[in-house]
Amino acid sequence: MIDFSSPRHRHKLGYLLIAPALIMMALIIVYPILLSVDISFQDVKIARIGSDRKPFSIENYEWLFTSGEFYNSLWVTVRLLLFVGGTALIFGFACALLLNEKFKGRSFARLLVILPWAVPEVVAVVIWAWMLDSSFGVFNWILLTTGMISEPIAFASDPTSAFFSVCLVMIWKGYPFICIMLLAGLQSIPEEQYQAASVDGANVFQRFWHVTIPNMLPVLGVCFVMTALWVFRDFAIIFVLTEGGPVGSTKSLAIMTFEQSFQFFRMGRAAAVGVITLILCAILSRALVSRFAKSVA
Amino acid sequence: MFNFKKTATAGVLALSTALGGAASAEETLSFVTWQKTDAAYGAWWAEAVAELEAKHPGVTVEMTQLGRKEYADTLFTMFAGGTPPDIVHLAAFEYQPFAEEGWIEPLGPWIEKSGLDLDGWAGQETCERNGETYCLMLFYAGFVMAYNEELMKAAGFETPPSTFEEYIAAAEAITGDSDGDGIVDKYGLGMDTIRPAPVMHAIQGLVLDSGGNWTVDGKPTLDSAETIEGFAKWKAIVESGVNPKQAAGNDLRQMLIEGNLGMYIDGPWIYGILNRASEEMRPKLKIAHSPLTPPVGGTSNVLTMPSDISDDRKALVWDFIQIVASKEFQNKFADYSGNPAPRPGLDYVDNIEKDGVFAVFQEATARAAAAGVDRLPRGLELYNSQLSKVIFNETQRMITDDLDPAAVAAEIQKQVLAFD
Repeated sequence: MIDFSSPRHRHKLGYLLIAPALIMMALIIVYPILLSVDISFQDVKIARIGSDRKPFSIENYEWLFTSGEFYNSLWVTVRLLLFVGGTALIFGFACALLLNEKFKGRSFARLLVILPWAVPEVVAVVIWAWMLDSSFGVFNWILLTTGMISEPIAFASDPTSAFFSVCLVMIWKGYPFICIMLLAGLQSIPEEQYQAASVDGANVFQRFWHVTIPNMLPVLGVCFVMTALWVFRDFAIIFVLTEGGPVGSTKSLAIMTFEQSFQFFRMGRAAAVGVITLILCAILSRALVSRFAKSVA
Repeated sequence: MFNFKKTATAGVLALSTALGGAASAEETLSFVTWQKTDAAYGAWWAEAVAELEAKHPGVTVEMTQLGRKEYADTLFTMFAGGTPPDIVHLAAFEYQPFAEEGWIEPLGPWIEKSGLDLDGWAGQETCERNGETYCLMLFYAGFVMAYNEELMKAAGFETPPSTFEEYIAAAEAITGDSDGDGIVDKYGLGMDTIRPAPVMHAIQGLVLDSGGNWTVDGKPTLDSAETIEGFAKWKAIVESGVNPKQAAGNDLRQMLIEGNLGMYIDGPWIYGILNRASEEMRPKLKIAHSPLTPPVGGTSNVLTMPSDISDDRKALVWDFIQIVASKEFQNKFADYSGNPAPRPGLDYVDNIEKDGVFAVFQEATARAAAAGVDRLPRGLELYNSQLSKVIFNETQRMITDDLDPAAVAAEIQKQVLAFD
């Protein structure tokens, strides 16, 4: 019998204890990924668990890399990533800086900032869809009654308006999380560093640039990675608002995956899009994490 | 004289029957539908389920409600996961991929064995693929027009329009700003412009009115002169502003019962929705024939069973299908839904006497059936979703980029011919 208390076998107890969690993770995360990769290499319309495997084929990837639809979706995803990620990060950081200051009603302000994050995504997006309605939405009503526009804006049927409508809702939904993360980061910066900088004559901008930013870089990096991954995989906001339209202007890779699998019943193609998305996310995460890790070091 | 062999055989048969009965007595059939909570259809389904349970003591049917929007995805996942419902209820345009994968039981042998006569059954041909019958058609309907009589009369129209030209003229006359705030708040007509399938059906109505269709003899005819005319009509409607720019079917129905929409072409289910209007509004809302000829219409939903359940369960599901198809339950369908049932030869005198609108539904269905109209494009059934997406995308592009309908039609035809 193994004596787990002995120094020789003590580490084995650790492995034993984490084994159930690892096995569970493998079943929940790794198995579906492997299954998707496997399906992506089969010319299969509707995959079914337990059915015979179809012959190995790269047809799905051939279709993918020659499909204008894929490059359009990739471009939409990249634009969403840059616009939503960048704006949400700037806005979230600004809010975090504001909420880090002492002022009357700070607790209430923090509650208000967090609210969009706490509202269920689909509920929030349905409300936004109504507010952005071309004929009866409150946005058009305000713009029309104030004379800022003479014709209602077709938020969901004009490609440019639809894209920025999706961006607006994604930023609204995503910035509170960034704000909370950055606020936690700001609160961990030692006050002494600011005091020392002040003693050395640094003004508010210099303190921000030379004290706040270097201290916040690791948190900013993590926030950007998480926002980027969220933009890559977010489905509900786009689907409820525009379903990827009009004319593919908001069709991200996530929407394309859904469309191929559940609307066109082409699971092989959908799996190929999913695998490419996974690879892109992995590369992005690795690159960003490495960059920020180096910057901290 | 005691015959051991006969007695033993009889005993074994009796035992097997009893065990079989016992087995079926403990069966629970799963039935997933989007109609359980519908006041009319839900009550009809509940009666059919009760009939099956009474016929097979101990057998229970577990009916589960699912939202229509996520319905096909959920059924698809259930089938793919190897746990399909026993009683399969699908939209008429959804069953084909399931049948193509061999997940749906061919019903031919069951029909033959039971002697179920489906001759003249409305829309039943949609359930046939490659010479095999895969389902029972539950509903085939012609579209009608719901309209606001008060708005119509105020616009100078004493009777509802009966041609496309009158339809547009009435829509233009109704559309306007009723409260003087400079914002249009009354719209002449409603057409879904944000979801692919309803957009395709709305345009199909205009294409049919122009004498064309998406396919002829199973071949795509999306660039025919008639189809181009249909696209042009749709473009003119959208650009004229008589239709709310960004609204789905449910939004439009709501606008109609709130008095903000003049006319809305829809299936007969619109009648039930009109009854949700306020007491003040309800008398103003009427049903008439669609001004488009022939009316859009077609198959709606089907009933079938999976191929990989046990024979005992298949026998029970087939019993359920037979109950639903029986004259008694087809009559009840008409009573509950207020629409003609697909079974031929039913007597609707009582239904018409009870509510004259039934006659409009009956005639609309007959008109659509006589013209061979179906929302499901013949020959492209498997690609219905792709087709609706292509039509939706390209017609949206036609509006945003102000493209020529003929060029748009040519592009759609090109994309459809490339379907694989």
